[in-house]
Amino acid sequence: MINIVKETAPHIRRHSSVNKMMIDVLIALSPVVIFSIIVYGLSAVKVIGISSFTMILAEFVYVGLRNKMPNDGQKHSFKELFLFAYKDHYSHSNWIAPLVSALIFSMIMPANATWYACFIGSLAGIVLAKLVFGGLGNNIFNPAAVGMLIAKICFSGQYPSAQNNWFIDVSTGPTPLTDASEGIVNALNNTSITNLLIGNIGGTLGETFKVLIIIGAIYLLIKRSADYRVMLSYIGSFTLLILITGLCMKFGRGLNINYFKYVGFQLLTGGLLFGATFMLTDPVTSPITSPGRVMYGIIAGCVTVLIRFFAATPEGVVFAILISNMLAPVIDYYKWSSPKYSVKKLIIMAIIFVLTALVLILAIMFTKEGGAWYVK
Amino acid sequence: MIAKTRKIKDTKGLIRELPSLRYTDAKYLYIGVTNARCDKSEIYINPGDHVKCCQIVGKRFGKFFEQPIHTSCSGTFIGYEEHYHRSGKLVKYMKIENDFKDEYAEYVKERTPEEIAKLTKDDMVEILKNCALVGLGGSSFPTYIKFQTNEKIDTVLINGIECEPYITADHRLMMEFPKRIVTGIKYVMQAFNAKKAYIVIKRKYSDLAEMWNEYLRREENDPLGKNIEIFRTPDFYPQGWEVEMIHAVTGIRLKPGELPTKYGIINFNVSTMVGLYKAIRYNMPVIKRDITITGDGIKYPTNFRVTCGTSVRELIDKCGGYSHPELEKVFILGGPMMGASLPSDDTIITKTVTSVIVLKKTNYKEEQCVRCGSCVLSCPQGLLPVDIMNAVKSVDKEKIKALNPLKCIECGLCTYSCTSKLKVTDYVRRAKLLAKL
Repeated sequence: MINIVKETAPHIRRHSSVNKMMIDVLIALSPVVIFSIIVYGLSAVKVIGISSFTMILAEFVYVGLRNKMPNDGQKHSFKELFLFAYKDHYSHSNWIAPLVSALIFSMIMPANATWYACFIGSLAGIVLAKLVFGGLGNNIFNPAAVGMLIAKICFSGQYPSAQNNWFIDVSTGPTPLTDASEGIVNALNNTSITNLLIGNIGGTLGETFKVLIIIGAIYLLIKRSADYRVMLSYIGSFTLLILITGLCMKFGRGLNINYFKYVGFQLLTGGLLFGATFMLTDPVTSPITSPGRVMYGIIAGCVTVLIRFFAATPEGVVFAILISNMLAPVIDYYKWSSPKYSVKKLIIMAIIFVLTALVLILAIMFTKEGGAWYVK
Repeated sequence: MIAKTRKIKDTKGLIRELPSLRYTDAKYLYIGVTNARCDKSEIYINPGDHVKCCQIVGKRFGKFFEQPIHTSCSGTFIGYEEHYHRSGKLVKYMKIENDFKDEYAEYVKERTPEEIAKLTKDDMVEILKNCALVGLGGSSFPTYIKFQTNEKIDTVLINGIECEPYITADHRLMMEFPKRIVTGIKYVMQAFNAKKAYIVIKRKYSDLAEMWNEYLRREENDPLGKNIEIFRTPDFYPQGWEVEMIHAVTGIRLKPGELPTKYGIINFNVSTMVGLYKAIRYNMPVIKRDITITGDGIKYPTNFRVTCGTSVRELIDKCGGYSHPELEKVFILGGPMMGASLPSDDTIITKTVTSVIVLKKTNYKEEQCVRCGSCVLSCPQGLLPVDIMNAVKSVDKEKIKALNPLKCIECGLCTYSCTSKLKVTDYVRRAKLLAKL
């Protein structure tokens, strides 16, 4: 007699899993991580180790607390309680997901961050941004971004940019972007695109190695573990806005800048590529429909440019990511969310983009000293 | 993986090229007293009676139609037995002992071409009604009701896409009986005075297309046959769904609730065409059909042409039995995406069963949804399966209604493509029930 069990249709499944997706992110991250260890040595190992340990441990404790054995009046040994909490409820995703967050978090931390900055940042990131919402799949904000931001706010005193001494010469001093706030023309003259590409500049642990980040991005796109819509709309809208600002500066204000170098400089500085590849594309915190994802990328691109030009912190990617994270549930609201590209949605996207462009144009063309800080 | 699912991994290559096995030697045949669309019936004969092949032995009553019950062999009516039906319920079947004499009932007689040429649409409706012809692709919708349309029909579409993986029965039917199919199509064109007919097949089967192009060359002097053409569609799932098929062939996108006849299109399955040919030419109901028995739980997957009413167990024995009988199996009637799973293999091949698939049971571990959006990208109806699932979990009726779950065609792509292995389709099915409340 054959043993037949009933199940509901469909009876076959696609070959994919959440863990595979997260492992793909780990693989894409690994060149950056390995390179940062080679370049920064022990200080990188320290940041990565502390944050990974903290995040994985926090999730471990969380699983235990969440699956506490209900009180049935009997006394249970610690082993029984432990097995009850972990045997069925702790799976591979419970350590892979925090590891991904921890690696992203450490890659956007500076190499000279103190151990308590790493600890507090990663703990706050995973607890406040992920676990309090209910763990994997329920978070609104990117845990790594929140952790980095909290560490930055709490310990900004120890945030002069790290020194990058692995190549050719020792470049000391600020990142190109903080440099640029002193005046775009000088900044452009002081940096070369090649150095930007190979990461021979100041910056955080992982965000400076652009070539490796681009390799990781290509890997993620080939494996379809990141949505190309988010990446392309983010970088595309960012580049377009930068092109517009470049035109304004060159022809409106008469600044002597090399146009192509200016665009390349903007694309390759700061955490733009890193954020676009590993943080913004996190499916949990992005909208679910394809037009929603395009709109999400455009919003993030606009906010990044606005922060770069007007805000006190020139590396605005983390802020842009968090702000678009906040807007994702609104984009996804069921009364207007739909997988079709309607005219209305395209108009809204265009309005967001045009408004940002207008603000930028007006600011660059008509502000005197002390306005948009680039124009000097 | 964040990607739209369009192609489904297929194992058709295994038996697509094998000729189908003719199996009409079943000792006992079973005729369902009721079926999926008809839940009441009336039987005219008593146990012990002798019956002839195709004899009308009863009548089933559906919600909006009734259909006669035909025997599929001559022999002795023994009594009633309970077996599983496609719907998953135990249903009473009439057990008939085959005497292998194949005596046909009196009304089965061949019509001459001249007689057929005189038939009008209304005559055909009457014939199809008496022969109880239904959609043989699995829908079991009465064909005569489709024929009763008053719209002007220009185009006849014959669905030979068979977009579900694993199933190859229609493929073999098209390979082996082109003449019956073409004649059936000509009858439909004659009835509706249609100008054009397309046989729609998948693009990847170039052998089938070559064979049909060569066959259709023989029809180039026929006034109706010269208007029949092969149309090759991309091999996506669910291309065999009538909305996708009509869109691929004519570019017209049906809105939900619209019938294709509104645009002058009428569509049938290829196996329905063979049934229609038999009905019009010989005045004979469907008593044989092509089925596929396949899946990784079957030792030697095979295509069969069997008498309707054959027991599935008998056919599985003909396939060499089950492979790895110690493992748990899933027993499916229909395709692996939409087919019904039965609790037992004790079932009968009726005229609407297209395939039997036996798969090893795989227990997938469900993860938390990570909102990858694969279900949204894959849904052919443009729904938001993940939002429907969350609304069902929180029993938010207003939200369920706003998300339009009634548009769902239950193609199963949301569960199939789910990265977290969640049974999204089940939630959407529940949402459909909740939305009707």
